[in-house]
Amino acid sequence: MLLSILEQGLIYGILALGLLITYRILDFPDLTVDSSFPLGAAVSAVLTVRGMAPVWTLFFAVLAGCLAGLITGLIHVKCHVRDLLSGIITMTGLYSINLNIAGKANVPLFGGDTLFKNPFTRAFPAFLAPYATLLIILVITLIAKLLLDWFLSTKAGFLLRAAGDNPSVVTTLAQDQGRVKILGLMIANALVALSGAVMCQQQRYFDISMGTGAMVIGLASVIIGTNIFRSLRFMRSTTMALIGSVLYKASVAIALQLGLDASFMKLITAVLFLIILVISQFRPKKVRLHV
Amino acid sequence: MKKIFAALLALTLMLSMTSVFAEGKTYTIGVSQFAVHGSLDNCFEGFKLGLAEEGFVEGENVVFDFENSNADTGIAAQIADKFVNANVDLICAIATPSAMSAFNAAQDRNIPVIYTAVSDPVAAQLAGTDGTNPGEVTGTSDALPVEAQLRLIRALQPEATKIGILHTTSETNSDSSLETYRQLAPNYGFEIIDKGISTGADIPLALEALLPLVDCTTNLTDNTVVQSLPVVLELSAVAGKPVYGSEIEQVKLGCIASEGIEYVELGRQTGHIAARVLRGESAATIPFELIENSLLYINEEALAQFGITVPEELLARAITVTAD
Repeated sequence: MLLSILEQGLIYGILALGLLITYRILDFPDLTVDSSFPLGAAVSAVLTVRGMAPVWTLFFAVLAGCLAGLITGLIHVKCHVRDLLSGIITMTGLYSINLNIAGKANVPLFGGDTLFKNPFTRAFPAFLAPYATLLIILVITLIAKLLLDWFLSTKAGFLLRAAGDNPSVVTTLAQDQGRVKILGLMIANALVALSGAVMCQQQRYFDISMGTGAMVIGLASVIIGTNIFRSLRFMRSTTMALIGSVLYKASVAIALQLGLDASFMKLITAVLFLIILVISQFRPKKVRLHV
Repeated sequence: MKKIFAALLALTLMLSMTSVFAEGKTYTIGVSQFAVHGSLDNCFEGFKLGLAEEGFVEGENVVFDFENSNADTGIAAQIADKFVNANVDLICAIATPSAMSAFNAAQDRNIPVIYTAVSDPVAAQLAGTDGTNPGEVTGTSDALPVEAQLRLIRALQPEATKIGILHTTSETNSDSSLETYRQLAPNYGFEIIDKGISTGADIPLALEALLPLVDCTTNLTDNTVVQSLPVVLELSAVAGKPVYGSEIEQVKLGCIASEGIEYVELGRQTGHIAARVLRGESAATIPFELIENSLLYINEEALAQFGITVPEELLARAITVTAD
């Protein structure tokens, strides 16, 4: 059970990294996520079926996610549409695009090689074989996390953080705040699409309904992670988001294990959400989040 | 060290004994249903019935672990993982995404997956084009008896040439049924005219565009369309075009007739397959099955509304249903 919690938790952890940028850093409620997650999956599935090596499909998924974020950003910044609405517009439109990319609502990958089932993983020694999937996920997730950590430490990353915390700083530095926001949305949705692509490779099928509730899962992970570990100043918020995601998936698995009716799952999530938010309000507030 | 070996040996012996004397064994079956849905619920009812007929009775020698993923593929995957970790004897997966998740999780662990209500197992790669299975996975398909339905429409409306079909573009089940209709319709002198929708809210507009072009419409097992059936029936009645159903529940609601499959029956057939697998047969060698006989349901009130009479030879085997 631990293995599948870690697998699922780390895959959705990449999604949580994306939401960390939009929700926590940019303070942008980005609903694009619900369709950029299946977008990454669709791109990855279709290219895999067409015969591309699964690992390369991830790059195209990331590219597609960038584009999705760019569209939301342009709608928000250039067309002056409210943040929530611009996400909803992209989400709605992408649904059709996802269907057309995939060609149909459900694309199975049982036939050929996937990221987790290919000559390379089959060559793993027997004692490692059960952990092959987790190891690959771990590598991808860590690369995503380290790249994001690095980016946030650069000047562009600093501007990104400033855009959410104190927009006037960005303007003072003679930088266009809108462009910074667009950049943030692009990176966030690239991560979300990557997460969708890895998920699709792991479950070996794309389904148009994959994205339903992706934003809530990501948000819950970020909030759980950053609130539980907020007093640990040495821990990066990207690490917190990843652990939050694993904890979220663990709570779902425990709920299933306890025999709780899956139809209550969303209600449990909502209550868990609320409890963590309320508890975190009773703690002394930190002025700045250590990013 | 010797003691440990002895204990291990004894344990292995005991374990092998229990598998030899399977009579006294209690089987755990994980059931993963994709959504709350009348037809899918009926599948599970039928499945239990089918197993019981073969001597696998709930509470006696079978324990069911039932989970519903509420149309969430992420949860479907976690449910499948849970069953695999619990090392259940068999997984029963109801509807396509559940079946795919279950097969993905169970394939390497050799836990048999028996699916039902999968419209097109070949398209879902749960069965090969040559009818072989990709692993310990088999089951039953709820593909519509399209041929029988076309014969029915021809018999009830001898003059009709164009059949309208409303379908949701995001439902794979509908895609494959529609494709079958397109292929078979010319054999009965029909042309299929379809309209795709993306949500239930599109139905009124799509129907207004579709109805003037056709002589009647027929339903697939499209979830979105079926959920909005009252709207479909009302608009069709205004336009004077009869609606054919795809299962009994739709005829009850006011479709004039249907050559349909019965999901309890489908589940029962699935239960029989599961029983064979529990007795030791390999799921990999059992081809997936379609439901053998379709049943003809008619709604006399709706038929009268359109002035359609059912020919004698059909009436003999028709089951008349009315609104509950």
